[in-house]
Amino acid sequence: MSILANKDTRVVIQGGAAGLNAARRMAEFCYMIKRPLNVDAFVYPPDAGKTNEVPYGSGLLTIPIYRGVAEATAAHPQINTSLVYIGADRACAAGMEALNDPRVQLVSMITEGVPEKDAKLLARHAIKLGKTFNGPSSIGIVSAGQCRLGVIGGAFDNLVACKLYREGSFGVITKSGGLSNEIIWICSQFADGITTAIGIGGDAYPGTDYVSYLEKFEQDPQTKAVVIVGEMGGDLEERAAEWYGAKKRRIKLLAVVSGFCQESLPKGMKFGHAGAKEGMKGEGSARAKSDALRKAGALVPETFGALGPAIKATYEELVKTGQVVPVPDLSPADLPKLPKTVEEGMKTGEVMVAPLIKTTISDDRGEEPCYDGYAASDLINKGYDIPHVIGLLWDKRLVSKQEAEIIKRILILSADHGPCVSGALTTIIAACAGIGMSQAVAAGLIMIGPRFGGAVTDAGRWFKYAVENRMTVDEFLAYMKKNVGPVPGIGHRVKSVRNPDKRVKELVGYVKSLSMKTPHLDFALEVEKVTSAKKENLILNVDGTMAAVLVDIGFPVESLNGFFILARTIGLIGHWTDQKRQDSRLIRLFDYLVNYAAPKRREAPPLK
Amino acid sequence: MAKVLEGPGMGLMKKWGISVPNYVVVTSVEQFDQLAKANDWMQKSKLVAKAHEALGSRFKLGLVKVGLDVKGAQAAVKEMLGRQVGSITVSQVIVSEMIPHKEEYYAAVKSTREGADILVANCGGIEVEANWDRVKRLSLEVGAKPSDEALEKLAKEAGFSGPLAKKMAEFAGKLFACFDSEDAQYLEVNPVVAREDDGQLVALDAVTLLDADAKFRHPDWDFPFAAEFGRAYTKHELEVMAVDSKIKGSVKFIEIPGGDTAMLPAGGGASVYYSDAVVARGGKLANYAEYSGDPPDWAVEVLTEKVCSLPGIKNIVVGGAIANFTDVKKTFGGIIAGFRKAKAEGKLNGVKIWVRRGGPREKEGLDAMRALREEGFDIHVFDRHTPLTDIVDMALQNKR
Repeated sequence: MSILANKDTRVVIQGGAAGLNAARRMAEFCYMIKRPLNVDAFVYPPDAGKTNEVPYGSGLLTIPIYRGVAEATAAHPQINTSLVYIGADRACAAGMEALNDPRVQLVSMITEGVPEKDAKLLARHAIKLGKTFNGPSSIGIVSAGQCRLGVIGGAFDNLVACKLYREGSFGVITKSGGLSNEIIWICSQFADGITTAIGIGGDAYPGTDYVSYLEKFEQDPQTKAVVIVGEMGGDLEERAAEWYGAKKRRIKLLAVVSGFCQESLPKGMKFGHAGAKEGMKGEGSARAKSDALRKAGALVPETFGALGPAIKATYEELVKTGQVVPVPDLSPADLPKLPKTVEEGMKTGEVMVAPLIKTTISDDRGEEPCYDGYAASDLINKGYDIPHVIGLLWDKRLVSKQEAEIIKRILILSADHGPCVSGALTTIIAACAGIGMSQAVAAGLIMIGPRFGGAVTDAGRWFKYAVENRMTVDEFLAYMKKNVGPVPGIGHRVKSVRNPDKRVKELVGYVKSLSMKTPHLDFALEVEKVTSAKKENLILNVDGTMAAVLVDIGFPVESLNGFFILARTIGLIGHWTDQKRQDSRLIRLFDYLVNYAAPKRREAPPLK
Repeated sequence: MAKVLEGPGMGLMKKWGISVPNYVVVTSVEQFDQLAKANDWMQKSKLVAKAHEALGSRFKLGLVKVGLDVKGAQAAVKEMLGRQVGSITVSQVIVSEMIPHKEEYYAAVKSTREGADILVANCGGIEVEANWDRVKRLSLEVGAKPSDEALEKLAKEAGFSGPLAKKMAEFAGKLFACFDSEDAQYLEVNPVVAREDDGQLVALDAVTLLDADAKFRHPDWDFPFAAEFGRAYTKHELEVMAVDSKIKGSVKFIEIPGGDTAMLPAGGGASVYYSDAVVARGGKLANYAEYSGDPPDWAVEVLTEKVCSLPGIKNIVVGGAIANFTDVKKTFGGIIAGFRKAKAEGKLNGVKIWVRRGGPREKEGLDAMRALREEGFDIHVFDRHTPLTDIVDMALQNKR
């Protein structure tokens, strides 16, 4: 037997993330005692219509989320209990909603910081309806072997250590969530464990008091003794003493009350719980409470540490008088084990996983990202720059100072070439059409291809091919004409021998001023001599120059278009921002810019 | 509970139609002079000046002065501002109009488990304490409002008669309206006086305790709450409160000068049992502290630093029950970092540290604590098999 929560308890949880966490803990308990999950529904209006996933063993249960309690109980008529995890400002309304549902008989509120008046209103409403309102600030309720409501009992290992998989003989009522586990643990170590443990919460005026639960425990034949954990403030312990002393009770009562230290502390001091505050004229002091309980016949040890031996003595007496027959404990092997997560299994070396993807350049599992093994902050603090990061992530090497300078110049030279080139134009059109930055910039980047900035990789590939195969320029041009087509990196729409490209001159001049070998650039310039002699605009263009230089400093061919894409992204973001700043209007092409070569207007023939 | 000083307390009562004397709260003599020019009543009436701080027995300390003219009030303000009383520096003075009266009465509303009690007596001032049996009470269920008849009956029971009974009933009704609407936990007016010129009942003083948890529905609570124990918060206490307001979970810290046993326990319930055990074993607490609700490790580290810097400590008790979901390893990480910092600063010499804890990742957490021994800490670590408060017994009996 048990009180409040048992095998038939079916739950709706009102609340978001905290409620889901509770459901997960409850599922662990259900799994331990080999029963289905007792949470049937969630109520959380922002997520209504969606579902929450709750791990159960190695599986995953899908629990629906509803807008209101009535909706939840209509869909799951077996629900009889609600746990409230709604924030303090809306907790009262949520609790009332649950109490007013005809199917819900028990409402336990976990929310902390609920105003006193709200708690009192909820308590009074519950009494009027003949229902139970537990909390606020309740850690939960657990009936050994039957039902866990909330996170009471702690982690799975602790549930097992405290023998919560089977019923004992001790009831527990506590104001302190933190001490609930302690008492359950003591009951399982010094006696045969618990029937039901209830956290009533540490607020000044909890919805339900010790007496209401003592009455229920008295009616539960399995419960032979009850441990109450009290504290100074209020008069709940005195009322419990009054109840216990009023007539002969079947259950034994053990109690501890905290707050003796108050006698030597500044008056009016606040302790951990809202309710732990001595009233005027010494009412509600730990001493007054302990004395009242003792006088009523309860066993009240001097310190908390002495509670264990007191429980032990009580248990031994119960066994001696035959009221309790000791039960054998299950061996841990007979209990289900909570499945390990893959991460835990890997940590202990029990599981091997074939990775889905492989990466060789970066790792952000530590406190900051590492690029090819170098921490980003270390690079910054030692003066490294963007070209070094490019070197690490694109070619897995730390480029030299000279190489970094070349890369920097390439990026600067190709960052933007005005609004008329296809990439910029596309971004501008997109910006004017109200398209967001990432999509507009992506649209511009899509323009990069064989006719716009996308020849870098191909130019690099073929210059490299020629140099590796020691081709002469004539052999190369013949090969290209036969097998490939126009030479990538050669030719410009606007620039020509007479109208040279300053960017190319700049880059070539700088690289040539360095004492480095440039076989690919040299070859490309030789090619240019021949092609530009044939036709004025068949000059070495920016793509071709970048390609030759980058191959010279060793960048892999696959990465080369990346330099243009990266550099030009700077310009495209600039164009998008520029259009937004001007609040540019939508672009529509003028009719005169289009040659309407379509057929003239004619009548459509009748449909056959 | 949250205590509110007299000024804002009277402001709340005025909001609900209770007559209060004219008053101003000043923080400087210049401000007083300005207000004295602007407010006619300050020139015309006799004045009372009181230090506006959470201080007990202000009368005895000379921090209440009555029957002043505006010059006298200015002198009193000058004298009181900046005065040091224990840890409190007087930074505000409330100057109010003196209300000529003959009789003094008492009215209060206090929160009860079922709802609230309205208390009325036809004596006031310190007389009430001595004549508590003359205080009459009307108990109300939460959500209920007192009827005019019930209030008048209460006033009559308390010995008021004729038109005064009606006035007192009305006064108590307004006090209840204030209590109920402002989420108060305790309101007391002592004394209530009948103003000589028009016979109107006026609140001469206000003790106001509000439910701080209800702040979310009172956007007009623009005043700070005062410390409840007759002294101002210390710098360290304020710093921990500032951390507490920022985090998930909680950290709490109150200094108790002169103690030698420092507390660093987990859990609002367990921390009090640990403190009790210290007192029960004849120890002297150096502080009250507590962390709970799985706070971030840095917050626990701040709390640890404050505990380690308490003067004259011999033992630190890192107690705790078996946590439900506070990560023992992580929170202990904060404590360990705090201990290391304190040791590096030359603190903790000759200080013994006692640890007892259980909960998620208890083994890892306790092992990490145990490892501090190798760093030269005098630390003693126990797990869930050692009863909760036994480390206090060991610490104070100097066993082991």
